[in-house]
Amino acid sequence: MSQIGARRSRAGGLSRALARDRLGVLAVLFFVLAGVAPLTVAAGVIPTAYQTTGLTGIPAAFLAVAVILGIFAVGYVAMARHIQNAGAFYAFISQGIGRVFGVAAALVALLSYSFLQVGLYGALGPAAAAEAAAHLGVHASWWAWALLAWAIIAVLGQLRVDITGRVLGVLLTAELAVIVAESVAGLAHPAGGNLSFATLSPAGLTSAGVGTFGVLAVVAVLGFVGFEQAPVLAEEARNARRTIPVATFLALGLIAVVYAGASWAMAVHAGTAHVVAAAAQEGPGLLFGLGGGALSQAAQLLFLTSLFAAALAFHNVVWRYVFALGRENVLPAALGRTGANNIPKAASLLQSATGLAVIVFYSATGQDPMSRLFFWLGTSGGFGIMLLLAVTSVAVVAFFARGSRGETAWRRLIAPLLSAGLLLTIVVLAVRNYAILLGVPPGDAAAWAFPASYAAVAVVGLGWGLVLKARRPELYSVIGFGAQAVTTRLAADAEEGSR
Amino acid sequence: MIQLAGTGLLADDLYLLAHDDVSGRPFLQPRALGLGLAGGLLAELVLAGRVRVVPDVVVADRALPRDELACNVVGLLLSERDQHEVGEWLAYLSRSAAEGVALRLAGSGYLVRAPGRRWGRGGRWVPSDSDCAFAPLIRVRAVLDAARQPAASDVVLAGLAVGCGLGSRVLPLGPAGGRAQLETAVRQLGPDLRALIAQVQAGVDSAVLAQRM
Repeated sequence: MSQIGARRSRAGGLSRALARDRLGVLAVLFFVLAGVAPLTVAAGVIPTAYQTTGLTGIPAAFLAVAVILGIFAVGYVAMARHIQNAGAFYAFISQGIGRVFGVAAALVALLSYSFLQVGLYGALGPAAAAEAAAHLGVHASWWAWALLAWAIIAVLGQLRVDITGRVLGVLLTAELAVIVAESVAGLAHPAGGNLSFATLSPAGLTSAGVGTFGVLAVVAVLGFVGFEQAPVLAEEARNARRTIPVATFLALGLIAVVYAGASWAMAVHAGTAHVVAAAAQEGPGLLFGLGGGALSQAAQLLFLTSLFAAALAFHNVVWRYVFALGRENVLPAALGRTGANNIPKAASLLQSATGLAVIVFYSATGQDPMSRLFFWLGTSGGFGIMLLLAVTSVAVVAFFARGSRGETAWRRLIAPLLSAGLLLTIVVLAVRNYAILLGVPPGDAAAWAFPASYAAVAVVGLGWGLVLKARRPELYSVIGFGAQAVTTRLAADAEEGSR
Repeated sequence: MIQLAGTGLLADDLYLLAHDDVSGRPFLQPRALGLGLAGGLLAELVLAGRVRVVPDVVVADRALPRDELACNVVGLLLSERDQHEVGEWLAYLSRSAAEGVALRLAGSGYLVRAPGRRWGRGGRWVPSDSDCAFAPLIRVRAVLDAARQPAASDVVLAGLAVGCGLGSRVLPLGPAGGRAQLETAVRQLGPDLRALIAQVQAGVDSAVLAQRM
């Protein structure tokens, strides 16, 4: 400390010293993309979506949804600058619309991210089993591999807090390179020799009626989930006012191009008329088959690491929500405590327990992991995130209605209103066409059970929010503040004391 | 001459509390340890009436303290022309707090430098006497017991310890209602000390949430 004391006597030394420790755009971008897991979407979600929905407008949907999410992000990053705990949807909704709705949003978010996280085991298991059978001669069922991945994530969650960084960065770069290479190879060898742009046409968005767009949009949002994570690092970023928006928009643009390109290349290579049948037959092989030999091998291996990274990233998102809610006493306080080495043991363990229960359930009931676990839970998670995006847009409008805080009308009013309208329309369309999304006959129990599960947790959340408001006003007043709940409560006490 | 009563300096006690009394291994991640100790160093100055942190961080008594480390901290506070919130000061001081406190403890004989076990690794600070290193834990226990009247500095020590993530080390040793008792005791502290404890906890929590320890 003495050396630093001698060196630092100019004004602004503190700010400069702190800025040196903080993250730049690239670091935040990598953090965001690690959760987005591009290869998981390109090889896992896209072929399964072609197969399950039978719709070919997926490439166009990625572009359309990127535009909608871009409009959403304008208000989102603007409000993130002005609130605490900006990494979580419920913070926006608590501080924009009200704390009772914030509690409901928190539970909806928990359910959504849990679906997304647990669903990944449904792709990890079969992918690992196929790789092990092909290259190691090991034949085990999908659930054995899913349990292995689950165990590694559960143990990592108990040992380390900060499992991110360089390794993920390298893998991510490799993933993007492989997707681009596969796409280029696919486009270079179109079916029948003609490059068809049909799947990129907006006409595909409503090919089987307007409702089609709701289904396609959920699939596309599922691909983009993770883009909303940049504000988690607001306090860690150098010049967060600029870094967080730039990283968010860069991530959106980059993945829009990569996904639209990859899904278009698959349709071009297989032929627009045959891509649905080809997806049913080949699964992730639809992407791997675009290029040959070593590229395909590398892609299959990276698909595994990508799935694992995504499962880990969403595991982290879930415990982050649970931990923050425990800290705010919305969930039991024990979930907001850390063990040795500052590890949020209880919050992490809770998510591990959920994962184990779901893997065991799917293996015991013998359901298909890829379509029923990965795609059903994944798309339902994506649907939940879309709900939150829509309500968050409303929260942005409500928040800035109480004061513009120096933000332009486009950021605080026009863009969020526009995105609220678009997203709410998509939500309605998606609910009405949920059966197509899951690939089940209309009226199937699953088609209403998933949307209903969100309604159920939202009602529970509203009820619990009202209970907290009536019975524990001191806890209620700091809902949505996350790590800053403790300082906010103290400041409120002090204000009361001085009055 | 080392003794069970320790150096009487808050950050020293917190450092010993945050490390194994025999091996010297830390129970906290580096950032949490740094934030806790930074809180400890500022709390020493607040307890001595030299610094206030509410509503702004100001040096109330410009006479320099006798302790060299405290002197450095006051020097830093005085040399910065811009106003900064407590949280920023904690983040800034946390960068070098662990090293500074370890050197101070070594100077008074409580820590010795053990050579690194593996080639290429630097040495590690190890308590010279494990009883003295364990003693702060006993002092913290007194705070958790409703029947006792703890000193303000011990309440701050316990509050900072729990705030920076030592709850699982400190609380199981105390009586069943220890956590509630600690919260009551912390609420009776002055606004500056309460703010320091809350800011340390918020800083550590946001580091945990951002997964950057």
